Amino acid sequence: MSAAVEACDLAKRFGRHAALRDIRFEVAAGSALAVLGANGAGKTTLLRLVAGLARPSAGTLTVGGVPATRPESRARIGYAGHATWLYPALTARENLWFAARLHGVADARERIAALLDEEALTDAAELPAGALSRGMAQRLSLARALVHRPALLLLDEPFDGLDSPAAERLVARLRALRAGGHTLLLVTHDPRRAAALCDTALVLARGRVAAELSGRPSADSLERALAEAA
Amino acid sequence: MNVFLAVLWKDLVTEWRSRDRAAAMGVFALLVVVIFHFAWPGDDRARARELAPGLLWIAYVFAAILGLNRAFSVELENDAISGLAMVPRDRGTVFLGKAAASFAILMAVQALTAGVFAIVFEVLDWRSIPALAGVVALGSLGLCAVGTLFGAIAVRTRFREVMLPLLLLPLLVPVLSGCVRATADVLAGAAPSFAAIQLLIVADAVYWIASFVSFDYVLDE
Repeated sequence: MSAAVEACDLAKRFGRHAALRDIRFEVAAGSALAVLGANGAGKTTLLRLVAGLARPSAGTLTVGGVPATRPESRARIGYAGHATWLYPALTARENLWFAARLHGVADARERIAALLDEEALTDAAELPAGALSRGMAQRLSLARALVHRPALLLLDEPFDGLDSPAAERLVARLRALRAGGHTLLLVTHDPRRAAALCDTALVLARGRVAAELSGRPSADSLERALAEAA
Repeated sequence: MNVFLAVLWKDLVTEWRSRDRAAAMGVFALLVVVIFHFAWPGDDRARARELAPGLLWIAYVFAAILGLNRAFSVELENDAISGLAMVPRDRGTVFLGKAAASFAILMAVQALTAGVFAIVFEVLDWRSIPALAGVVALGSLGLCAVGTLFGAIAVRTRFREVMLPLLLLPLLVPVLSGCVRATADVLAGAAPSFAAIQLLIVADAVYWIASFVSFDYVLDE
C-alpha cells in the first residue's frame, strides 16, 4: 500500500529565493505528522505543495501514489486553515453545499446535515458565514474540508485566533478524526498541540528539514528541536 | 457540469445578495452615457448615429472591467480562491462557471445601458433590437472569456485594479473592432456585416478555448 504522502528531494523556489530544499518525508496512511518551524521556515509552502495549490520546482511529491498536481490527488485531500475559504454572503449550509457540489458528493444533503450536527452548527445553518464567530467559522471550515470524506486532512495553523476552549475542542475533534482513520498533516508553531495530536514531526528551518522526530514526540522534545533549529 | 453549475450558482447568488458588481457597473455605464449626452451638440443627429457604436462600447468595456475586477476580488476574502483551485476536476470548469456568471451580469447591465442609450441618443429602431442583442452577446462572450482569465491573473498582483485593463485592453482589439463595426451596421438599420460577425466568432472561439486550457496554471500560485 502506498504512503498517504511521500516527498522526495522536494524543492520550491520563488524566483531566486529557495523556499524549500531537499525535503524528504513520508506520512503513513492513518497516521499524523506535525510540521513545525519559525515564521518563514516553509511550513505553509510545503502544505500548499501537498494540496496541489503550487507546483514543486524540483523533486517528486505524491498523495496516495498520485502526483500532487493531479486532480485525482485533490479529491483525496481536505484542507482547513486559518483562512476559512468561506463565502461571507452564503449561509453555513450553502457554503457546505457549494463545497459538496465542487467535489461531486452524491448524498450532499445528508452529508451536510451530519457535518452541521457534528460541528454543533445546526442552529447556525441558515446564518451567513460572515455573521459567525471565529470559532464557529473555524468549525464550519473544518466541516467544509470534510464534506467529500477525504482520506488526508491538511491543517494550516488551525488553532490561530481560537480561544483556549475552542482550541481544545478542535484538538478533541482532530483526535476523533484520526481515530476514524483520517491521515493528518498539521502545520503549526505550537509544540504542545502538535504533541497532543501527532505520531511524527518535522522541524523546518530556512526551507530545510532541521529535525525529524518519531515515536509520538513529547512537547518538550519538540520545543528543544525548535530551539536548536532556530 | 457539477462544478460549472456550482460556481455559476455561487457567483449569481452572492451577486444577488450584495448587488455590488451590477450596481457599480450599471452606475458607471449610465454615467458614461449621460456625460456623452451632455457633451454632444443636440442638433447633429447624423454625427450622433456615426459615433454612437463607439460610445456605447466604451461604456460597455469599462463597465465590464469594473465587474471582472470584482469577480475575483471576492475570491480573495478568506482565501476562497484556494478552495476553487482544490476542485478535483480540470480547473477549466471553474473558468466556465466564473465566465458564465460574469456574462449573465454583464448582459443585464448592457440591456439597461442600451435602453437608456437608445432613449438619450434616439439612435435605435426597436426592430433592430434582436440584431443588436446578438452582436452585444457575441462581443460580451469574448470580453468575459479573456476578462475572466486575466482577472484571475491580475487579482494576485500588487496593482490588480490597474493590471486588468493593462492586460485586457490590447487583447480586446479584435473583439471591439468587430463589435463596433457590427453595431454601426445595426444602428444604421442594416444587417451586421458578415466579416464583422466572422471576426467575433473566431475571436470568441480562440479566447474561450485558450482561457479554458490555461486556467489550470492560472489558479496555481
